[in-house]
Amino acid sequence: MPGRLTVPGTRILVAAVLASTLVACAQFAAPGSAKAATITPALMPDSLGGRGALTLTANFAEGSTTVPAPVRTAVLMLPAGLGLDVPSLRSCSAARLRARGPSACPAQSELGRGHAQVEAYVGSQVLDENIALWVFLGPLHGFQPTVEVLGQGYTPLVKRIVLAGTVTRAHAPYGEELVMDIPPIATVVLEPDASLASLTLTVGTSTRRPAADANTVVMPASCPAGGFPFAAEFTYADGSTGSALATAPCPQ
Amino acid sequence: MCACLLLASAAWAQEPREALNVNASFAPDRLGASTNLSLAASFASDTGRAPSPVTKFTLFTPAGIGVDTRGVGTCAPAALERRGPGACPLDSRAGFGGGVGVDELPNETIRVPYTLDFFFAAKRSGGLRVLIHVEAAAPANVQLALVAREIPAPKPYGFGFTVEVPPLSTSPGLPNASVESVFVTVGSPDVAYYESVHGHERLVRVRGVSVPKSCPGGGFPVQGTASFADGTTLTADPTIPCPGG
Repeated sequence: MPGRLTVPGTRILVAAVLASTLVACAQFAAPGSAKAATITPALMPDSLGGRGALTLTANFAEGSTTVPAPVRTAVLMLPAGLGLDVPSLRSCSAARLRARGPSACPAQSELGRGHAQVEAYVGSQVLDENIALWVFLGPLHGFQPTVEVLGQGYTPLVKRIVLAGTVTRAHAPYGEELVMDIPPIATVVLEPDASLASLTLTVGTSTRRPAADANTVVMPASCPAGGFPFAAEFTYADGSTGSALATAPCPQ
Repeated sequence: MCACLLLASAAWAQEPREALNVNASFAPDRLGASTNLSLAASFASDTGRAPSPVTKFTLFTPAGIGVDTRGVGTCAPAALERRGPGACPLDSRAGFGGGVGVDELPNETIRVPYTLDFFFAAKRSGGLRVLIHVEAAAPANVQLALVAREIPAPKPYGFGFTVEVPPLSTSPGLPNASVESVFVTVGSPDVAYYESVHGHERLVRVRGVSVPKSCPGGGFPVQGTASFADGTTLTADPTIPCPGG
């Protein structure tokens, strides 16, 4: 599927990518009390309209000594004008990712990578696991682009999950938002599901001069006073909700 | 998954009767596959009060079930008793579980969630031994280290394990704590670890417990027998349906 996917038509992709990833990990969750998630965005390059990357760090267990609760729904809102440039339009399906992993997907469909830390109660212990993340452009759904997020952990449990995201327009001051329903992710039979403790994900290309055919995040052409706004809302398995706000500073 | 509900044939006709309900399942349940064997049992009394404390539990698993302990570590009972699960090597872990205990007070019944951690111990007389760490955090912190011993299993069963449960006093003059429910998962279909081979790290998947390679008519037989402090003994004979059955 050759083509170049550019802003503004694909601004939603950045939201989809990041929200998918948030929930991909957030669903590795278990009962807990901490509902105070934090998000920390970083945009590169530090110039309006530039091509580069967005790195988002989310922490679901900051200041908590317990495993955070499982996320059931996640909504991520991104600054208006933030986009994604995909020069060679290739996609990867969830079924292929699930069956064969990231190497089965066209390189051009990879939008980003990251890692996450997940936790779960098993017996009297808290199980910790590092999860590798890949984000891929998914098949078009109607006229809307989609993303597929693969989470792969190896030890102590070999686990692979794939999530897909859908996007709607967000209210100001945001551009797009992604809503995702999160199914429970099992760890050990009869034990609680796992939870995301933290994640870091980079979407786009963080090199100083991205190649012409590289998938990149496109910075907004203007910056609102106070910086680029980000927000996330989470609904947890116990019915409670939480939210996180953050701002990325305007370019100097 | 099949459940069995049995009422005790009490030692004396007028004695209260306990009931034992046991469920068992394989997940995944493909023949020959590495799997989790899960058991859930509940205990009840027809008096409406807490069941009599369990003093011993014996389990027989289906014939043909595989238990591959190659490469697994072992945990010393004394270390587990002194320092808890953190004292046991990660590769000695055999399973997890939990349940609800009952403290019967004069004016109220307190249900206490507890957790179970299972670890392989060094074999004794060629038989497997599994250490069980029991922990409850509230209303009072309780930690117990039990030892489940492998015992010969009669046909049509494969492995047999038995564990004795010591009396657990709550307060002077009050009944010992009893158990309302217990769930256990052993096996490791998704467990893996890295080992270093000639300087390279290699991911090793633990085989652990595997489903028998063939399934008898009527499913895989499992038997659980609980002995209670009041002298009652109950046996439940659930079956695990054959894969695809």
